[in-house]
Amino acid sequence: MNHATRTYDDILELLPSEENPSPMVRIRRLAPLGSVIFAKLEWLNPFGSVKDRTAWEMIRQLEAAGKLGSHTAADGQTHTRGLVEPTSGNTGLSLAAIAAARGYPMRAIVPAKVPRDKKVLLRIAGAEVDVVPDALCPLPGQDEGTIALAKTYARASSHKYAMPNQYENQANAQAHIRTTGPEIWRQTQGNVSHVFVSLGTCGTASGLSKFLKEKNPAIKVLAVQPSPGHDVPGLRNTSELGASKLFDPALIDEIIEIDYELAYSTAIELCRTEGMLAGPSSGLVFEGARRFAAREPIPCGVAIFADSVFKYASTLARHIPDLAIE
Amino acid sequence: MSQYANPDVLVSTDWLAANLNNPGQRIVEISVDPKLYEAGHIPGAVNLNWNTELQDQLRRDIASKETIEHLLSDRGVKSTDTIILYGDHSNWFAAYAFWLLKVYGHQNIKILNGGRAKWLAEESRPLVTDKPAVTTSTYKVSGVDESLRAKLPEVLAAVHGRSANLVDVRSPDEFSGKIIAPPGMNETAQRAGHIPGAKSVPWSTAVKENGEFKSPDELREIYFSRAGVVETKPTIAYCRIGERSSHTWFVLKYLLGLKDVRNYDGSWTEYGNLIGAPIER
Repeated sequence: MNHATRTYDDILELLPSEENPSPMVRIRRLAPLGSVIFAKLEWLNPFGSVKDRTAWEMIRQLEAAGKLGSHTAADGQTHTRGLVEPTSGNTGLSLAAIAAARGYPMRAIVPAKVPRDKKVLLRIAGAEVDVVPDALCPLPGQDEGTIALAKTYARASSHKYAMPNQYENQANAQAHIRTTGPEIWRQTQGNVSHVFVSLGTCGTASGLSKFLKEKNPAIKVLAVQPSPGHDVPGLRNTSELGASKLFDPALIDEIIEIDYELAYSTAIELCRTEGMLAGPSSGLVFEGARRFAAREPIPCGVAIFADSVFKYASTLARHIPDLAIE
Repeated sequence: MSQYANPDVLVSTDWLAANLNNPGQRIVEISVDPKLYEAGHIPGAVNLNWNTELQDQLRRDIASKETIEHLLSDRGVKSTDTIILYGDHSNWFAAYAFWLLKVYGHQNIKILNGGRAKWLAEESRPLVTDKPAVTTSTYKVSGVDESLRAKLPEVLAAVHGRSANLVDVRSPDEFSGKIIAPPGMNETAQRAGHIPGAKSVPWSTAVKENGEFKSPDELREIYFSRAGVVETKPTIAYCRIGERSSHTWFVLKYLLGLKDVRNYDGSWTEYGNLIGAPIER
């Protein structure tokens, strides 16, 4: 592996680390005067999103525990244990690609409402895909259908499947303690003052906050969430965080709520004004940073841009009238 | 704390884990998503498919007597067996099967309290993919109990005479007429709203977060004190296609002990399509 020449023996060597950080690029035109905001471009990770970090951390942990790959079961037969995970988006794709690189089978459990392209992408990356009907009357507190089916596979066929469980796995936050946090610290030479993140499983917010506040308790971690009723893929409003056991309000300085339509329009602004092909969750996070900067200047802000716009062309076309093509 | 009217219709996960192999017992999974059974089920359980097996596949009706006899024979159930039902979504379809099998006169039926979700949440509970070896039986339906079922004339009589409690177990938006059916559902109606005089108690109000039924006192508070269901009157429960309402039927008849409770299996997809039927919003 040679980061200087960017020549590698294995795709997994491209995974981000302090020595090989995802790039941070200053937002020049759209950042309010008097504030410095960097976008951390997570779509430049090898499998296209911030979730590469989580997926890799969870798989490393399962590997270290001897839970993946070839093993001899109680019946004396040799099996290959792979992954089963409830996922509708980036985590699934990262897990599937890393599993492919490592030679593990992967089964993704996906809700029916997820757009077709995302299901096909998982298949392209080599995952078996189970589609679960959307809950007609979801009940509070109970496992969503996808989580229940994944847990069932992991228990009934434990010789075939291990379940990383991104919603409960502390490795999800650990990934950001081990990589994203140190990267930002080094990339800003310790000057980072504010970090803006979105909330999904909450691993990014929790991990970054734990690492950075230990370095400097004055660093503020701001979570940006879409208004209720949103349809921004991969994000959750705090009212929907029941599924995640990683959400710890004590680690977040403030939750900034943004009208979810702005996720789409601000993403377009970033694309057209900055040349940053940012996806809707990045649009939302930047909008939150911009609002915050209107209140007080940001000396050195970092906004986590989780993925690019490429997967969301049809989603954006539904929200932005001038994108519609007859 | 008071008891359920018929506590013996429920078994706990602890009890079932200790009694998986009782003779004269058949465990049956019936989940909204049939993939769950294939992925893993309680040891010894057979599967029933609510969509393809428990409904008449030609006309709109519950499965016929002959179909039920064939199904239960195929799954090795004898008429003297205790059937233990469980499923996903807080036993929603397990309750439907309970109702249907009671219509066809099966004596001993129980529901696993908390259903599949509670079993799965308890980490020591086994799940297997092997299907049990079943010796087929010759199941005969002993009789058909139509008193558990409300048909349209009884519903219309209840509307006009205000002679029965009508309990609408759909979501508040379906009850108020804001939507006709939850998004994406094929079965729908021409009109939105509810049957005049009906009380709105969404079916899931009867269960706790872990999937178990709420306590008798809580259930009495919900149905009698808050919703105003009159204990001395006959009661008809309905939903959209008659399945969620069998869950409420089970609660009212077996857990709270109301004497005359019927499930209106025609429900809103019948009533909301009628010409001239009165509707409230």
